[in-house]
Amino acid sequence: MTDAVFHETAAAPRTQAVPLAHLSLELGHLYMEDFEAGPGRLRRHFAEVRPWAEAARAAATARAAATARTGAQRARISTCFLVDDYFTRFSSPAEVVPMLLAEADRAGLTVDYLARESGCAVFGEVPVAEAVAGRIVESPPPSSHGIRPPAAQTGWLANGERSPAVRAPQAMKRAQVWRPPKETAARRHSVFLDTELFSDGPDGRTWSCPFLAAVWQLARLGLLRHQGEAVLSPRPHGDGGFPDDWDDLPPLLRLNPDADPFTAYRTCSVLPNRFLPVEHAVRVILDQTEVDPGALGQVAVRARGERAELPDSVADRVSYVFYAGP
Amino acid sequence: MLVFAASDKGGTGRSVTSANLAYQRALTGDHVAYVDFDFGSPTAAAVFDVPGALRGTEEPGLHSYLEGEAPEPARIDVWRQTEHPQLRTRPNQSGRLVLFPGDAGGGEFATGADALERCVDLLLRIDNEFDVTLVDLSAGRSYAVDMVLAATAHPRMRYVPCRWLVFHRWTRQHVIAASGLVHTDHGILRGGVERGHDEETLRASIRFVRAAVPDPESPLWAQGSPAQAAWMQACDEALRRLAAEHRIGDSVVLGIVPLEPILQWREQLITEEDVLSTQIANKETLEALEEIARRLTDDAHWGQP
Amino acid sequence: MRPPETGPPTALLCGEIRTCLLPARQALDIRSAAQFLALRADERVLLSERPTLYARSPDTLTGVDCPLPAADGARVRAVGTVAAHAVLTEGRVLQTSARFRAPASGPDQRRPWGQYLIRPGTVEPLGKLPREPVARGVLDGGRQGDLDVGLIADALLTRLLRHPLLDQRPPMRSRPTRLRWAALPAPSGAGPSLERFTLAEDELRTVRLRVPEDTPADEIAGLCADLALHDWLLTTVVRTFDGIRLGTGADRDGSSVLRALGPAVDHLLHLWMPRARVTPALARLWDPLEERPGFTRQWDALVHRIRDQLALQAIGPARREVEPAP
Repeated sequence: MTDAVFHETAAAPRTQAVPLAHLSLELGHLYMEDFEAGPGRLRRHFAEVRPWAEAARAAATARAAATARTGAQRARISTCFLVDDYFTRFSSPAEVVPMLLAEADRAGLTVDYLARESGCAVFGEVPVAEAVAGRIVESPPPSSHGIRPPAAQTGWLANGERSPAVRAPQAMKRAQVWRPPKETAARRHSVFLDTELFSDGPDGRTWSCPFLAAVWQLARLGLLRHQGEAVLSPRPHGDGGFPDDWDDLPPLLRLNPDADPFTAYRTCSVLPNRFLPVEHAVRVILDQTEVDPGALGQVAVRARGERAELPDSVADRVSYVFYAGP
Repeated sequence: MLVFAASDKGGTGRSVTSANLAYQRALTGDHVAYVDFDFGSPTAAAVFDVPGALRGTEEPGLHSYLEGEAPEPARIDVWRQTEHPQLRTRPNQSGRLVLFPGDAGGGEFATGADALERCVDLLLRIDNEFDVTLVDLSAGRSYAVDMVLAATAHPRMRYVPCRWLVFHRWTRQHVIAASGLVHTDHGILRGGVERGHDEETLRASIRFVRAAVPDPESPLWAQGSPAQAAWMQACDEALRRLAAEHRIGDSVVLGIVPLEPILQWREQLITEEDVLSTQIANKETLEALEEIARRLTDDAHWGQP
Repeated sequence: MRPPETGPPTALLCGEIRTCLLPARQALDIRSAAQFLALRADERVLLSERPTLYARSPDTLTGVDCPLPAADGARVRAVGTVAAHAVLTEGRVLQTSARFRAPASGPDQRRPWGQYLIRPGTVEPLGKLPREPVARGVLDGGRQGDLDVGLIADALLTRLLRHPLLDQRPPMRSRPTRLRWAALPAPSGAGPSLERFTLAEDELRTVRLRVPEDTPADEIAGLCADLALHDWLLTTVVRTFDGIRLGTGADRDGSSVLRALGPAVDHLLHLWMPRARVTPALARLWDPLEERPGFTRQWDALVHRIRDQLALQAIGPARREVEPAP
């Protein structure tokens, strides 16, 4: 009814667009144990990351050049780093951030954007994690005609069918025998994964590390919206130093004023291989998350416009390099 | 309004009588639902002569629904699906009469929190649609009784009027058992309070129905000897005293159903035809059923005695 | 705006709508309606105040992998998502609507789940879709285990009916109705048409349509919701006369007439507004129904009858004097 004279704004949905780089390159996560291990740990980490980061840049540049209309197109690449302030609070931004930046610089790496993990749970007033949890659409195992309880009821998400729960049968009926779990997309044998999305305690809900990591990926892919508005938008960092309290640090900070956009068509994360199980779970979550269709459409239109190659499936836009190390 | 039909023992005529009450209410124009929560023996279909659902239903019934395997329980439109010759022609101005049967071969089962929520969903939906809903509960302190006690104490059901009928036969054992079902430690009242009911309100919503009561004045016994008659009279007196001592005396009785061969031998609905033309049922029985059906919603018969 | 729909053209669109009275003593105002229908934390409830108060929830998706119902008994497995949403009209009538579109054919194997999620509300057959038998199968109802969109609409209804905003005190007794619909492509160049509107069992209605291929699924669902709403209003108001025996003298003080008709006047009579939210191209499909049986004609007659009854009650005593003794 676009030809009508009468309009009501509340009745017309709209989606805010975000700028897009070709690649969002993640240079690492920092947890309390990494910090406690001292600057040597970070130094070794960045030294490991350096060659892989260069390889990822080269791959992205080659991809952009291959599809560019005329001549060599520069690949827009931004880097980011995630600090955990959600599961454990340690030290202060004033102490951690300068050290982090110094170690990255020593390895010849630039951190364009710095994010706090708690920003993936709640960003300002926006309950980001809760919203993403509400967008999970469980992959139906064969013969699902739509009456399975949604994942939100149980707080777990699997990549297939769980073993049936042992329940007291009706009187005089035989109890069911045990059946193995089954991965829905299994090739002959299952690699079944069941991941906890959150746990509820007296202080409220705690989102799991894999779940927040999935939110982090969606943020970097530019696919998060809150009522049509972009969320996890970066704030510029002024000339001043860093605050003493994590809460006073913007959840997503642009450290490099000349950086390419934070959000990108694809992501690559360079991580030590202890993150492998977490990132497997991230893939299981992303594969079952219906992202905002408006945002998805905008990214697709932009990608077509500059002939950037974009996988349909969101989980396939994410890539990793796992290096051997703690 | 929801009416729960309970009994401590089997063989009280609970199912057949409550089915007859449902039928009587429908005749007066109410839309009536009959919900078969007699999980161990889902046979209400037999009373309504609905052959497709004679031993429960092949479609997912209440068992499947409450266990979460079916999103909606099957419904049977009695007027349309019955084989009872006189029910086939739905009387003019009668209301709907719908049976919610159990599963074929369903048994008693332990109910959890999910089943409770689904039970509340179901009772609310049925109550929104029907004027009177009769819920037939498994005998004794069953899972069914437990579940509806918890369901009716649920905040979502706070405005739904509920009444309880406890059926018992007119014998010493049955009187004591019926009182026990309501008044002992694990009875409906205690159990209800534990689940959040207000004791006085719950007590005020419970009435008793004496079933299969031989009437000493009835012509049925006119052939007996004077000694027999005197003995019956004395027994009846003694039972009344016993009932009163057990707090189920006349003041909390909603009605008395006389001993009726066709209810005893062939559980079925009693129609006017059975009384007037074929005369296989007694007029008194039909009148008793009509009266109890009427009293279900007559506030004068409910509340604190 | 929704993103441009990608993928193969639609060969069949189907859905089911459940319509019921909101079980609450007072109708919900527009703000409560927004709260009630907030199915997703990150998506707005669409609100509109002209010409009726109208609130529409965001879509929720349910994954399915099961056979499609087919009238000829063919077993066509299909995988994808069914989209469902809820609508509240004048804070009083609640509708849940589930729908899907299906392309003429799909790959022979199930694809990774993430690829289905980028086309919400699409169910893909494995192999070819027998369009006509499936359309008939949907309208007639399938076998146990076949895709049944009605179940999905009902599950959403159940979820909403548990909302704490509802006091579960409906002003009158009423029955929910179900309206199943199937839309097949119109011959090229032809406009949309309503092939059949059937009153099936007590609560079931079926609608068969032809629509041009590019007609958006939510517009068709919107038309069907409009039909379902008005059919429910007619059904419900007709039934308010059920329990009252007019002119018998049994109702000496007229209280049963007031009890039965009063709530209809308070809560339903102002809701009649066919085509209010139907796109102009589809609004024409109302015409044959207005011609025969004449929905609005029957409604007007009912409204007059109710007003006459209430007017008679108002002058009750005088009337009773001229009534012959029973």
